[in-house]
Amino acid sequence: MILRLVSAALVAGFLASVVTTGLQLALTSPLILQAETFEGGHSHAQAPSPAIAPAALIVHAHAHAHGPSQDPAQGGAEKPDAWQPEPGLQRMAFTGLATLIGGVGYALLLAAVMLALGREPTPRSGLAVGIAGFLAVALAPAVGLPPELPGMGAAPLVLRQSWWIMTVAATGIGLYLIAVRRVPITILGGLVLIVAPHLAGAPQSIDTVSSQVPPASAAQFAARSLAIGFVFWALIGLAYGWAWGLFGREASDRAHA
Amino acid sequence: MTTATLQTSALRTGESARTLLVAAFLGLGLVFVAGFAPAAVLHNAAHDFRHAQNFPCH
Repeated sequence: MILRLVSAALVAGFLASVVTTGLQLALTSPLILQAETFEGGHSHAQAPSPAIAPAALIVHAHAHAHGPSQDPAQGGAEKPDAWQPEPGLQRMAFTGLATLIGGVGYALLLAAVMLALGREPTPRSGLAVGIAGFLAVALAPAVGLPPELPGMGAAPLVLRQSWWIMTVAATGIGLYLIAVRRVPITILGGLVLIVAPHLAGAPQSIDTVSSQVPPASAAQFAARSLAIGFVFWALIGLAYGWAWGLFGREASDRAHA
Repeated sequence: MTTATLQTSALRTGESARTLLVAAFLGLGLVFVAGFAPAAVLHNAAHDFRHAQNFPCH
């Protein structure tokens, strides 16, 4: 059973990430590269920005304390040493690899949820859980923390990650209480859970004014990111249901042979 | 929505629970590596994916 689940999740994660990588390279990566030309002081800015204005570098050096360290001095000292993929093909390849790892991870989590719910995975039931995954993991956190381009001011990373995880968990449990339990008291509790993180409020940026990223690009990126997220999750669900059936058939064929 | 039960021959609770744990553990681990791991190298490699999938990033 472990083998069947993991095989199906690998297939689903692979298929979904192939499509999603294509969409990311076509729709979001160009906007990220464009935004990085406005992002001085960040290590990514050096590579893909032949036409960066020197003035922007001076003004924005140390304006964004990026990376694991929130201390500008430390961040500036540590960043240039860290490896990063070469621009072009290597960077695209690593984007694809990260999408594959994330896709297989999501597929395994979707598989775990379907197993916990006791749902037989089919393309149809997989799609339903996949859409719930999109709502909980992509849409709900995006309401408070919209998808951001590099170089846009944002609150400290740890705060945003905590809020993100809390919102995903609360929305997931809320959806379960509403869609699976479905009695008035759990529906009420589910709605409260889904709304609560937004009432508490996402950690907001202190410095949104100085960002040089064009608002039109930022809006386009947010919309594209959510659209890609929907395709990603829908495909993971569909493909997982399909692959689960496929590996089940193969196993029973072998048993009858 | 109908609640279909798993029709696998192996519906022993022990195996289901173990499978569930393995899947959840592996899944969380992979998502952590792709989306959250703070190491600069992992961050740089997964950078465009993290932005596109709206993981909180730098």
